[in-house]
Amino acid sequence: MIEPGRPALEASDLWFAYSAGRPILRGVSVTAHAGEITMLLGVSGSGKTSLLKLCKGLLAPQRGTIRVRGAAVVTARRSRLDPAVAYIPQQLGLVRNLGALDNVLMGALGRVPELPSLAHRLPLGIRQRAEDLLTELGIGHKAGDKTYALSGGERQRVAVARALMQEPDVLLADEFVSQLDVLTSREILTVVRGIADAGVAVVIATHEIDLVERYADSVVVLRDGEKVLDRRVRPDGTTDLAVALRR
Amino acid sequence: MTSARGAFRRWLPRVPVLALTIVFFVTLGNVGLLDADRLRRAVKNLAVFVGGLFPPDPSTLPTLSVAMLETIQIAFAGTAIGFLLALPLALLACPLLFGPAITGPVKLALAFVRTVPALFWAIVFVVAVGLGPAAGTLAVALYSLGYLGKLLYETFDGVDAEVIEAVRSVGCSRAQLARYALLPEAANSILALLLFMFEYNVRASSIMGFVGAGGIGYYLLGYIQLLRYDLLLSGLLLTLVVVIVIDRLSALLRRTFLVPVSSPAPAE
Repeated sequence: MIEPGRPALEASDLWFAYSAGRPILRGVSVTAHAGEITMLLGVSGSGKTSLLKLCKGLLAPQRGTIRVRGAAVVTARRSRLDPAVAYIPQQLGLVRNLGALDNVLMGALGRVPELPSLAHRLPLGIRQRAEDLLTELGIGHKAGDKTYALSGGERQRVAVARALMQEPDVLLADEFVSQLDVLTSREILTVVRGIADAGVAVVIATHEIDLVERYADSVVVLRDGEKVLDRRVRPDGTTDLAVALRR
Repeated sequence: MTSARGAFRRWLPRVPVLALTIVFFVTLGNVGLLDADRLRRAVKNLAVFVGGLFPPDPSTLPTLSVAMLETIQIAFAGTAIGFLLALPLALLACPLLFGPAITGPVKLALAFVRTVPALFWAIVFVVAVGLGPAAGTLAVALYSLGYLGKLLYETFDGVDAEVIEAVRSVGCSRAQLARYALLPEAANSILALLLFMFEYNVRASSIMGFVGAGGIGYYLLGYIQLLRYDLLLSGLLLTLVVVIVIDRLSALLRRTFLVPVSSPAPAE
């Protein structure tokens, strides 16, 4: 685990385009520190999702560098990615036909022996950890339920538990509470706050300004693929964020 | 001049329709369907044939039932073998797991197997393993391999990209990605494809006997050659009953095992 306050994720001068044409990201640099929540704020199409996928290694930048714990992020289409960077996509990416526990166990696939895992033989300690995580997140009693039968908040918790099974240094979450009611999204973000307090660098993409004051330590505003604001969260309001988003 | 151009513009959209109509009638003529004498004979022959079908003669039903069971066995074993071969090949043809150097040749091989009709494969296997249901089973297996292989790799291609990204993100290998994301996510479609292929193969297997590859087809062809259309109808009705029963059983299995395509989250 990285010492709290130290940079865990450093993305520098990122340029990215899906095809020849106007780049989705233009020279964006972001740093996420261990033990903190960084919120990426931007309207739809501002480049938040692409930035998170670049940081995870799911996409490769045309220019720029991304480093986690000082090492360059592995970008690979078909080989293994770095499990130290957890990623929760917008729709969570849970496997619908599998139970909650199986989805959580998937988080450990990067660090268990491969052949036994193909026969679903995972170390007992790993299984126990997955069950404990579900219990800690308040859905231990739903471990055997298929994820398609879970409520939105329960699915969110399963996705968080899967990410925690990776024992990550960095957690990237893409608008993952945007579809929840206010109460449930607050509960989930409180859980995420706890994860950050435990030393993980958390980066959350969102378009909801009101989440920033309450949960973030720092905020980065993206507009049309460019970073237009990057500051620590202050108690004096979010007026400048709204201005930066819309200008 | 202007009115001539206007008439041309009005007629222009009708040219393809006119051309297609001409091609249609020329084709009908070429295949002999504009030959009035032949059509008259056909109607007469059909009347004799339909007249010969009724009433159906159930006297051979015990023999036909045994042959039908063999047909179902050919379809079942053929579908199962085809699926077991198709699954790994479909994974090898999946671009999420392998590059074009592997997916390309595998897709080409599956396309070749698919191009050859099941009846031709039956002839090949009758030559290879001799007359009987073994040849039919191998033919159905190979034919199923070609189709299931293609349908399966297309199913894998269609798995939700977010699920793939989320599972890849944990740092898993390609084999683990297939085991924990592709196969469970595609399970619905795999079951539906298997049931469809089995139903299809029951129908396909019922003509395997035409070339000596086992099943009820051997008897159906015999009844046609002996002009015993009443016995033929009994065989066809038996096939119809079996196909309907399998169709109902498939529907039951789908209802029991398939996850709803859209499953909104229950209320908080």
